[in-house]
Amino acid sequence: MPLLEVGPLSGGYGDADVFTDVSFSLGVGEIVTLAGTNGSGKSSLVKAILGLLPRTRGSVRFDGAEIAGWSVGERARRGIGYVPQVANVFPSLTVHENLQVIGVDDQRQRIAETYAAFPALEARKRNRAGSLSGGERQQLAIARVLISRPRLIILDEPTANLSPLLVNQVFDIIQRLPSPGVGVLLVEQRAREALAISARGIIMEAGRVCAAGPARELLADGDLARRFLGQYA
Amino acid sequence: MSSGQWIANQVLNGLVEGLVVALVALAITLVYAIARFSNAATGDYLTFGAYVTKGAATWTGSLAAGFVAGMVATALLSVFFYGWVFRRLLQRSHVIALVASIGVAFFIRHTMTLFTGHEPFVFDVPIVRAWNINGLLLQPTDVAVAVAGVASLGLVFALLHFTALGRHMRAVADNVDLARSSGIDTDRVMIALWLLIGAIAAIAGTLVGLKSVIHPEMGWDLLLPGFAAAILGGFASPIGAVVGGLVIGLTHELAAPFVGYSYKLAVSFLIILAFLLWRPGGLFGRVEEVR
Ligand SMILES: Nc1ncnc2c1ncn2[C@@H]1O[C@H](COP(=O)(O)OP(=O)(O)OP(=O)(O)O)[C@@H](O)[C@H]1O
Ligand SMILES: [Mg+2]
Repeated sequence: MPLLEVGPLSGGYGDADVFTDVSFSLGVGEIVTLAGTNGSGKSSLVKAILGLLPRTRGSVRFDGAEIAGWSVGERARRGIGYVPQVANVFPSLTVHENLQVIGVDDQRQRIAETYAAFPALEARKRNRAGSLSGGERQQLAIARVLISRPRLIILDEPTANLSPLLVNQVFDIIQRLPSPGVGVLLVEQRAREALAISARGIIMEAGRVCAAGPARELLADGDLARRFLGQYA
Repeated sequence: MSSGQWIANQVLNGLVEGLVVALVALAITLVYAIARFSNAATGDYLTFGAYVTKGAATWTGSLAAGFVAGMVATALLSVFFYGWVFRRLLQRSHVIALVASIGVAFFIRHTMTLFTGHEPFVFDVPIVRAWNINGLLLQPTDVAVAVAGVASLGLVFALLHFTALGRHMRAVADNVDLARSSGIDTDRVMIALWLLIGAIAAIAGTLVGLKSVIHPEMGWDLLLPGFAAAILGGFASPIGAVVGGLVIGLTHELAAPFVGYSYKLAVSFLIILAFLLWRPGGLFGRVEEVR
């Protein structure tokens, strides 16, 4: 049974749908990349999966259960972790408080583990998150979501605005995320790099899926690569 | 009395008044930061709290018991109006919520005066002579009001900064969607917020009542100074609200002899205007992060 199963899902803001009939599934232990041109509806689709945007049609199943009736908070508490594309930390809270916001039983222990994995954050734990650099902020956002040990991790463009060195660091972190019980949905503009660490990929255009399949096949499709993945190899 | 003593006395009075204004400004600021609208009913929550405290204190014969009853009743009143009015309106428009809060203010006041009438009440506290410290006149009730004010502000800040609930409130203030998708139960945070607002208002009301008298307009009269203080403080900063409250209190007391006691409210209004026009970011001038 897939961890996440998105039926033919449609949704949007107000009257108009910004994504239509999107279907895909994601299993444990794998990364699935969601790519596509700017404005193709990737972030909106993700928000609908999280309950932050109403869907107009279709189903979302998490671990086999339809989650339409779950509140946003419930989805988080039941194992869906989300790092938004923008505004992904609480700027007026300190780094440490950002980590403490995630309610778990062995909080101290897990925060200590987080600092061990992200030493840059420990150095700035008393600073307000709003004062972090883009890279530090992105690390905090990812570290924060991992504290609750989510089973599905949804990352919306985690490498946006990062310097090349940091991009590699973030991809390293992401690559290590999947585990026997955990799956990752990765929204990325750097589709080549993302597909390189993914099992499968979905490419959206104008609110619809225009290509989907094993990552290797997508990368090998010359026409697709030219249109959506950028020229560099 | 020398002019130095006069200034010292006015400063003292100003700080005590400022603590009460700070409580009002804090209640306004917390609602603005977390629930995102200007709550004009804050003043009448205060009045309600003062009357309940007075009633319960008279009935039980204990001011402390009255105080607790006032806080509990006002906290419940505040949650009630959140659930009944503001929660629904806020999904539509923040301006509508503001207008509705003015309606709530009048509703509370007029319903209350049906039972209490318009005659003022006073708390039965022993009348003690002011202590005279080198010409500085210290009223024991003022000292009690100041201690209670400082303690309440301290408790609110401890709640905001040293408890999980406080962190959750500040997280919701920063970014409500991120708070929800981080697993924070935002409904719980809202209920806690409104309980807290009611309790703060009741404390402020009781302190005003102890300092002077309890009357139906007492809270409404403090609304303008409260907003002035909140604006001085930058409108979304709890610490700013407290500093703003003290500044307003001091300004009132120092300006009152010159503009006349009945016009000191006009000073608040001038401060609001001046800051909105020239320093919309408040005293500290820090533009808050884009949410
Ligand atoms: N809050 C909003 N209100 C109304 N329309 C919106 C809103 N956010 C996005 N849209 C519209 O929805 C469409 C899809 O936007 P979305 O952010 O989902 O695209 P995206 O694929 O994530 O783009 P990008 O790669 O730039 O992040 C766009 O046409 C956009 O204008
Ligand atoms: Mg996007």
